[in-house]
Amino acid sequence: MRDKDLETKLRLVTLQLENWKKLHDLITYGLDKAKPIISTEQERQFTEIRANLLQEIEYVLRELNMLAEVSGKAMSVLQRGVSVRGVRDLSNDEVRRLETDWNGVFTKFGLMQGQLKARRKELAEQTTFNYYLNRFLRRPATAH
Amino acid sequence: METRLLTINADPVFQDRALAILDEVEDLETQIVRNLSEAVQALLEENFDGLIIEGEAALAVEQATNLRQHFPSLTIACLLQNGRRSDVAPKAKEQNIELLSAARSDRRLRVTLARFVRSLDSQGTASEGIDPCHSLIGNLNQFSAAEILQMSCLSQRSGRFTFKSGRGNSEIYLQQGSVRHAVFGSVEGEAAVAEIFRWRQGRFYFEEGIISQEQTVNRPWAHLLIDNLQKLDETLELVSV
Repeated sequence: MRDKDLETKLRLVTLQLENWKKLHDLITYGLDKAKPIISTEQERQFTEIRANLLQEIEYVLRELNMLAEVSGKAMSVLQRGVSVRGVRDLSNDEVRRLETDWNGVFTKFGLMQGQLKARRKELAEQTTFNYYLNRFLRRPATAH
Repeated sequence: METRLLTINADPVFQDRALAILDEVEDLETQIVRNLSEAVQALLEENFDGLIIEGEAALAVEQATNLRQHFPSLTIACLLQNGRRSDVAPKAKEQNIELLSAARSDRRLRVTLARFVRSLDSQGTASEGIDPCHSLIGNLNQFSAAEILQMSCLSQRSGRFTFKSGRGNSEIYLQQGSVRHAVFGSVEGEAAVAEIFRWRQGRFYFEEGIISQEQTVNRPWAHLLIDNLQKLDETLELVSV
């Protein structure tokens, strides 16, 4: 059986991970001194990905209950990386910080995706009856 | 076996009504992309049973028409968010594009989407099984369909090529080094040849001497080869747009 909330969360996490990966590809390209040409198409892609992330990040993190732990790092990456050219002009310290923060966000989303997939696998092995029975049996006792 | 569906949705986080419904469908794997270029890339890399394009009617049908030129056998549907259906219906029909309307009620939308997904299920997939006695057997990972056909046409072969992949089975009949007939599902002729040109995975075998009574391809092999390679280049260009 499929759990609606779980599927929604998994969809949101997958979409976020895709965008963070694409952002990383462009950041890596920008930092690669061996590739001097940054095309307008790459800048356009960067702006589009950044716009999507800025628009969606807060909503997605709130839906996933990750707002407090990830929001700061995510905003730090999005504010530092203003363009591919802008990333190239960052100082070494700022680049290191950018990479550390990106890694923090990516790790959290990756872990969350794994947990959600594991939960989906468990659910797929359960019948609807077992699911509701387990939920009923696991109900916490109410305090008097 | 799971049905694989590709969805183009420009705003999948906030405009996710249809996506939420598709999430609930058992044995369905949905991949979401945000634009045409990403869709082409996904379609070149992986096999999908169908494609849904969500959006405003004119834009969705335009994108679907564009994709139809490059993926002739793909089942494509447009989920129209607004705009008059009658404006785009003739064009959609001409291109074999299904129009689905994003009904106001979730229940009706659920029914519409479930019907579309069921139609993908019923199309079935290819069955494996290659007879080792066939005169030429191989794998499309190592030789592309273009290379194999080029070799057979140059040596003036007559017979039937069968290609088997996750997308289905297809056949190309040669006569004296010319392509006489090609079929892939409901697609016939040059469109079927174009489809097979894109396959990068699957197996093939050749049976000497089997001639088709039907003739759906009338152009010389060299013309087909040049046109299809050019078309493939155009498809790849879409990815980089």
